[in-house]
Amino acid sequence: MAVRESHQETSGTPDPIERGFATLNTLRIGVKAMVEKDGELRKAEILSMKQRKDTPSFYVHYVDFNKRLDEWIPASRIDLSQEVEWPFPEKNEKNRKEKTATTNNKAQGKNQAQKRARADSRDISSTPDLLTGKNINVSKAQRPSKAGGKENREDETPVNSSFIGSEAASVAGTPRPEFEDVDMVDAGYSDSKDMKDEENGMEMSREEEIEKLRTGGSMTQNPIEIHRVRNLNRLQMGKHEMEPWYFSPYPEFFSDVDLVFIDEFCLSYFDDKNCFERHRAKCTLVHPPGNEIYRDDYISFFEVDGRRQRTWCRNLCLLSKLFLDHKTLYYDVDPFLFYCMCTRDETGCHLVGYFSKEKDSAEGYNLACILTLPQFQRRGFGRLLISFSYELSKREGKLGSPEKPLSDLGLLSYRQYWREVLVELLMQEGRESVSEYELAMYTSMTEKDVHETLLVLNMLRYHKGNWIIVLTDAVIDLHNKRLEKEKIKGIRKIDPARLQWKPPVFTASSRTWNW
Amino acid sequence: MTRYGGMGRTRPKKLTSKASIPVVREDQIDLIDDEVQSAIQQVETGVEKAEESEVHLQAAISAAALGKVSEANIPTPETVLSLIRYDELYPPNFSQPATYIRFSSTVEDCCGCAYHMVEEDNVFLKIMNQKRDASIQCTVDQFEEVMNFFEETAQLRQPFAAVDNPPALSYSEMEESFDVVVEDSVKRFAKDIYEHWKSRRIKNDNHPLQPALKFETGQETDDGDPYVCFRRREVRQIRKTRGRDAQSAEKLRRLRKELEDARQLVALVRQRELARKEMLGIERQIFLQRSEVKEMKRKLGVKDDDEDLINQKPKKKPVEVPMFQRPVVPQLRIPQRQAAEDLQLLEDVQAEKENEILRDIKQNLAKHVKWNEGYVDITMAPLTPSPKKTTYAGFRPAITTQLPTPPSSDSSGNANDSSSEGGLRNFADRYDSPVVEMDDDARKIPSFRRRIGRGGRIMIDRRNLTYHCKMEIDPLKLDRFKYDHDDVDDDLVFERDQYDIQIMQHRASMTVKAREQVALAREQAVQAHAQAQAQAQAQAQVQIQRRLQFDHATASASLGTGQTMGSNPGVGAMTASPVT
Ligand SMILES: [Zn+2]
Repeated sequence: MAVRESHQETSGTPDPIERGFATLNTLRIGVKAMVEKDGELRKAEILSMKQRKDTPSFYVHYVDFNKRLDEWIPASRIDLSQEVEWPFPEKNEKNRKEKTATTNNKAQGKNQAQKRARADSRDISSTPDLLTGKNINVSKAQRPSKAGGKENREDETPVNSSFIGSEAASVAGTPRPEFEDVDMVDAGYSDSKDMKDEENGMEMSREEEIEKLRTGGSMTQNPIEIHRVRNLNRLQMGKHEMEPWYFSPYPEFFSDVDLVFIDEFCLSYFDDKNCFERHRAKCTLVHPPGNEIYRDDYISFFEVDGRRQRTWCRNLCLLSKLFLDHKTLYYDVDPFLFYCMCTRDETGCHLVGYFSKEKDSAEGYNLACILTLPQFQRRGFGRLLISFSYELSKREGKLGSPEKPLSDLGLLSYRQYWREVLVELLMQEGRESVSEYELAMYTSMTEKDVHETLLVLNMLRYHKGNWIIVLTDAVIDLHNKRLEKEKIKGIRKIDPARLQWKPPVFTASSRTWNW
Repeated sequence: MTRYGGMGRTRPKKLTSKASIPVVREDQIDLIDDEVQSAIQQVETGVEKAEESEVHLQAAISAAALGKVSEANIPTPETVLSLIRYDELYPPNFSQPATYIRFSSTVEDCCGCAYHMVEEDNVFLKIMNQKRDASIQCTVDQFEEVMNFFEETAQLRQPFAAVDNPPALSYSEMEESFDVVVEDSVKRFAKDIYEHWKSRRIKNDNHPLQPALKFETGQETDDGDPYVCFRRREVRQIRKTRGRDAQSAEKLRRLRKELEDARQLVALVRQRELARKEMLGIERQIFLQRSEVKEMKRKLGVKDDDEDLINQKPKKKPVEVPMFQRPVVPQLRIPQRQAAEDLQLLEDVQAEKENEILRDIKQNLAKHVKWNEGYVDITMAPLTPSPKKTTYAGFRPAITTQLPTPPSSDSSGNANDSSSEGGLRNFADRYDSPVVEMDDDARKIPSFRRRIGRGGRIMIDRRNLTYHCKMEIDPLKLDRFKYDHDDVDDDLVFERDQYDIQIMQHRASMTVKAREQVALAREQAVQAHAQAQAQAQAQAQVQIQRRLQFDHATASASLGTGQTMGSNPGVGAMTASPVT
């Protein structure tokens, strides 16, 4: 099996996809069907299923849509008059499957243990903190496989990942406990593991990835964990209610409640309204628990140390994981500083967004994760956050760049910021020439980011044997529009004079370890 | 930093990051079709590969490429206003302080009791209070305290409850955990609430009642569990060796000894203060008895030398000596001094006078030093030898010192100023008698001295220089003097913040200017001249601190004249040629 497959892969032949008509009863996880979305039909993959009062419900991911648009839908929205694509264990989703394949035979035992644990979802939910002192053997540690990643709703449904194979077909749609055994299928791939690894030398193994996490302190993750089913249903925070976008490891049974309450100031979480109200009666926090390092008429920034404010920063990370796909909470918050942007009123300083930053980034990143809370998005806060991160870099005397991967929203925000900053410099009176190095020095952007931004904007061109920077009409137009808008709405920007901050200094041990 | 941008037919020139690129408007160039097609595709987005193809992102990227940023919209789930009674839950009590907030309390500090009541508890509490007398009702807060106590105790006593599922703690076990910290209210209501707690715990498989995150258990299941979060970063394994063990043992021993010393010190201080208190008591007694004696003498008409009314010398000493040694206790010293004024001793007066004379002499000496400032007194037994032990004849050996971290940017300017001034002042001080003991090694180190000759010329004397054309040199020594040679290409390094925004701007503008000079040769010459001047100036400033070698003929010439015209540099430095 493995040989045939790898052969196909190298020859580049597209995999034949098995199509056919499905009924409600033969629909299973991994099936790609046409689903009605906003009045249109769109191909979507079934990631999970459950019975709600005898009517099945499907969790679908729309192909080429961001995961945040994944949702539970009733069967009525699936168009069964069209053929569906059946999942093939060997061919389907080659990319993801291969990564899973890197989990070797140990995965089998692991999965069994996992399954046992799942039988009672609370069984191991109350892990005492006292145990955390124990070292984990990182070399053996394994990433949650995709199978593990997707099964968030086992209480209700036997859920399996999309690639688990055709054996699943026989029992699909008829939940019964043994169904979970199909999880083991991904262990069967271990046969083909070595070959796959050779082919995909570029792909990061799980071990490598963990090692990278451990040493780099990176909070982003690679796509192994994509396509997880969202676990929280709805969120109440401050004056708003919203839908989470992605999975976040809040206590497991939070997935059973309709509404999770988040305290706006301490970011504590409650599955019970009574609890939440009792907490509010006692809670005295009115701003992020750190030092205010910036204040203007509009916003304040607080610097919060992950090591000193472990609970708050964990709460923040749990919350932001709901809206950041590529954030991982695999490791603790110690090596990060959190720069929290707040608006103020008579009730306190309300968190609107934040970015985290490694205390000591080996790669020279000036930002790890960035998030404007969804209830405050599309109001220019993201630009302020980005701008602030560069202000800090200027104060540090460093050039910086955000950690990759960026989210789609992150990419757009950054590209906009970079464009605005560079165009503003280039439009300066009497500027006749400039080097990328100079632009980097002025902005604290890396030369690479400067260069690429100029390329993306089609401003850096090779003209008659020389490099030139062209201020295109489009770019000038955007610049003028922005100036106009600022004239009307007022300029919101970071005033470096109001930043009371010196780059903090950490000893090697306090950066990472807990002493 | 070499990149190729556009594709074109011909391979484009290298673009280095420091190359200055002309900035033009679109209408200033004639568009050539090929060139419009720039290389947007080769720029990495930094977005996860699997997501790059997403419909909305692609739409947004192409909209941005066309300059229609407003159309770049990625749909997100909507947010709505909550129906929660916000004003009740978040009271408007915040007033912003005038200064930036500084805050270090943790969430736990700010949230009171960690247990929060649920509806089930409410019902139970109501029933419980109904059964109780009005005077001993249990409040909600007290109830939560008790529940919190149970939860914490259970956590403490059964930390592995999640793994080995023990039965819920019994009440007697709870009682064992009562200690001084536990409030009375907890003790009072504990028994009544215990059964409620136990039943809830049992219903919950003896797991904590409040939702908790999943941390590592150290079990295999951790790895694949997406709910396990915030793992500790692995602690570096320190290899265990006997040496390391001994080291830690030694450290602990030292720590213990230091703590013991500190304890001892405190005990001794206490002892001393007690003794002092006792002494004061006795002194007071003496005073009272003396005044009685005085009264008595007066009454009885006794006339003698009143020796018995004043402190005798041997008696006084032990009082005075500790006083001088410990000026830390002024409140004790004051009464002492008053007593001394009352009863002045001849010895004291004499000592005072002697002190006055000494002070006079010292003052004259100081005046003399002042007159001689900038001059060297090399007469035998000079009146104003500098008390400082210096290298002989003001020569300073060129010793490499490793500075720790560079000083911070904002103080660097001042540091430069003060060091040059300070250098001058020290310079004057250093001219004292040419007899300074130095060990052999120090004598061999190349040394320099700067002095000011007539007309304010600055001269540098040197000694102990090695010839670097010597063929056979100890490689070790060679290494030691590796950096002694002036590297002509080397720029002088000044302490400054490389990335200070002003400096960055300045630097950028400087490079622009420098380019303009290529066209304007004349200007360049002027600039170069100015630069050379500045460099020379700077060089003069740092010469004393730097290890320099003067091999230029000009330098030795000036040294030569300096020798004849300047003040006598002292025995050891009569010749300007190296004396190795
Ligand atoms: Zn709170």
